[in-house]
Amino acid sequence: MIRIEPPMIVVNEPVRRPSVLHIFKVYYPDLFGGTLTVIRDICASLKDTFNAAVLVCSRSGGERQIVINDVAVERVHSFGDVLSLPAAPTYPWRLWRRIAEHDLLALHAPFPLADLVFAFGLGRTRPLVVHWHADIVSHAALRFLVEPLMRRTLRRASAIIVSDPVLVETTPLLQEFADKCHAVPFGVDVAKYDRPAAQADDVNARGRLVLACGRLVPYKGFDVLVRSAHARNFEVWIVGEGRERDNLEQLIRDYGLQDRVRLLGSVSESERVKLMRIADVFVMPSVTNAETFGLVQLEAMAASRPIVNTALGTGVPHVARDGLEAITVPPGDPTALADAIETLINDPERRRRMGQAARHRAVTKYSTTAFKEGVETVYRKVVAEEAATKDAGSSAPAPHLQMAGPVGAIRIAAALAWSDMRHRYVRSLLGPFWMSIQMAIMVAVLGSVIGHLSNSSAMARLPMLAASLTAWTFLNSVVLDATTALQGSASLIKDRALPPVIFLLQCTFRQALFAAHNAVVPLILWLALTPRDFGGAIVALPGLALFVICTMALSLVLGALATRYRDIKPIIESSLTLAFLASPIIWTSEMIDRGSTVTRLNPLTHLFAIWREPLATGHVATTSLIYVLACLAVLAVAATVTIAHLRKAAFWI
Amino acid sequence: MASIHLQDACLDYPLYGAYDFSLKRRLLGHLFRQSSEMRTIRAIDNFSIEAKAGARIGLAGPNGSGKSTLLRLIAGVFPATSGRVETTGNIVPLLGLGAGVNLDFVAADNINLLLRISGRKPTQAILDEIWAFTELEERMQRLPLRMFSSGMLMRVLFATATAFPADILLLDEWLSVVDEKFSAKAEQRLRKMVETAAIVIIASHDHALLRRTCNSIINLDHGRIASTVALDAPVPHHLELREITA
Repeated sequence: MIRIEPPMIVVNEPVRRPSVLHIFKVYYPDLFGGTLTVIRDICASLKDTFNAAVLVCSRSGGERQIVINDVAVERVHSFGDVLSLPAAPTYPWRLWRRIAEHDLLALHAPFPLADLVFAFGLGRTRPLVVHWHADIVSHAALRFLVEPLMRRTLRRASAIIVSDPVLVETTPLLQEFADKCHAVPFGVDVAKYDRPAAQADDVNARGRLVLACGRLVPYKGFDVLVRSAHARNFEVWIVGEGRERDNLEQLIRDYGLQDRVRLLGSVSESERVKLMRIADVFVMPSVTNAETFGLVQLEAMAASRPIVNTALGTGVPHVARDGLEAITVPPGDPTALADAIETLINDPERRRRMGQAARHRAVTKYSTTAFKEGVETVYRKVVAEEAATKDAGSSAPAPHLQMAGPVGAIRIAAALAWSDMRHRYVRSLLGPFWMSIQMAIMVAVLGSVIGHLSNSSAMARLPMLAASLTAWTFLNSVVLDATTALQGSASLIKDRALPPVIFLLQCTFRQALFAAHNAVVPLILWLALTPRDFGGAIVALPGLALFVICTMALSLVLGALATRYRDIKPIIESSLTLAFLASPIIWTSEMIDRGSTVTRLNPLTHLFAIWREPLATGHVATTSLIYVLACLAVLAVAATVTIAHLRKAAFWI
Repeated sequence: MASIHLQDACLDYPLYGAYDFSLKRRLLGHLFRQSSEMRTIRAIDNFSIEAKAGARIGLAGPNGSGKSTLLRLIAGVFPATSGRVETTGNIVPLLGLGAGVNLDFVAADNINLLLRISGRKPTQAILDEIWAFTELEERMQRLPLRMFSSGMLMRVLFATATAFPADILLLDEWLSVVDEKFSAKAEQRLRKMVETAAIVIIASHDHALLRRTCNSIINLDHGRIASTVALDAPVPHHLELREITA
């Protein structure tokens, strides 16, 4: 093996900037918001040291590749939001394909769609930094599904960036990885909020304008703000757009506040800066810990506004502190919120003092430079560590480990199955083709016998008979192999600590290889004896795939059961024989009573029908398909339970 | 960074009798209200250790004191009944050499398969390096393993199993690799592996060996820590070599 390493070229070329892929659910121009501002600022401020790219979902259709502020943005089509998540089925695939093109992955969490990719062990080759923007607070009932994924992502991450150290203490999931967490507070460009001219009307003695900004979503607590305006005399302007708009408008009408509470909708950034400057009090009424920092309150602080915020268990009350830059009230309490606002409205001197303190804090504690340097330090460190391990790795023989995760298990199972097949060839030149010859003889004999039993032409039915027998042999052997697979591999499980599921998968893979040999018989017969309807064959492929998946799931469940309870194995063996006779495998449709209850309820009837019908007639058997999908759902649940129990398999063997 | 963290780990090993493997028995037992409680033996009892990179831990104790079970618990073969078992780093358990070998295959294919099983992609360079270590003739690579003598077989298996460095190395009994010349070489290689691995845990009856290689020895008794002995840095090499040749 010759490795070409041309140092000359490296010298001539300018030093390549490492590239970062930012992974999030949505980006400009589809939405505006705090998280997006952060991503945009990271891309812009690090552009001298890192090449940035963004991969997001988008509902709007339009161009897939766009450039926003010199950053390449790739947008994956989404069909809308389901449970606050974009329904973009191809996103994980696209992410996986993109990973290799970048030197660093920056995941902006929470985003379970991307967790899916990392949880399955894909993309291990690139270092990952997680920007922890918020915990998942909505849809708490589904948390048990998502949390294991998030945990796997965090475990795999090289570093986790949070906006405030308090988040590590208050988020149980982050506590587990506290040693990887880096607190890098967001920054605000205070210069943008400098007043152009006179400061005279800085604090308006008669001022009663209350401003709030944010997407109109439940956790922002704007309904609390609307309620607080009831029976008071301050004015409330809310900037932002979102799905809560109708509810808020209804609420405003219900309280009769149309003249004092206004929803301004989306406004441009310069407009928002102006609004910040003329407001008297800035309010952030967020009600859940989904609000981790409140970038918008920091902007208001830069504009010298006094803040009213809520006592959440996140960075919110630490950015603007109670009594210094803000008045902090309990979340979800309209009366306390209204009292705090009125206190500030009625005390211009206090507003001025708090506003100055706020500006001072924004300038000293939350500068854009500190944010940029914080993020850059983490990125550089992670990239350098990765490079170091790679260098160390290349000096060793080739320690490329592919072990972890389901992908590793499937790889090992495939390697074992491949070796099993080669074993057949070692013993004889023909290898598994011996079985194909056996299959051909069986087809010939059965075909002639059945041909005499029924009237129709035996020759025309031979290809289907051969295909059915091949499929049955596959199913039968997979299940039978699975019942003894774990005992047969006891030493690999106990001495080499390989996950037991590998050896059950191995049965399916091995028999699939053998079936591919056997399939020569039906293929030759089909090409020779029928008019070769390729359309029907293609329609049959999904059905065939379902057949294989069902077989695999069945073998997982039965294989584990037969290992745990040894008396099940003979039951399985006799059931398989019975099933062979009771299903329309060698029998043709005319020979059996199609209406009989046994035939209709027998899952095998349908499992064969889903691919035989399209082959024979070109049409999909819909009832059978539904029946099989229902069976598969049950099998999938059973297989999931089985895999969980397989942890204990080492005790059984 | 490799680390092993066991906190109050317990392992109840279920003792399956002939009847416990029977589903019929189990169901009938329920029917007749027989106590179907599984008999278990506490193989690991409230075990806590904390190992960081550089730890060389020897496990000593009589047969059945839980040495192998503890190694399997750490390797993830058995799930802990209670307590916490956490490990980081890739674990190479060398608890038996022969697992996964197919005697019908030629030596080279076996090596490739064994490498794949441990999650490595075999290449010709790796194969050559392993073969060089076995000191066997080049042409024997193409012979089926069943034609090898047990000594030669051991050389091949040992060379393959120890071809890669590990973060965490678990060894059950210092592997006895037959003929004398090779065993010196094997021990040297294992020692080198022990040096490069971040954490090594060795279960052995051979106290002298544990003293030579480990920096702490845990004596096990009925799955508990009977005593822990901290040792100074292992004695330098030349002494050991003399010991072997003597």
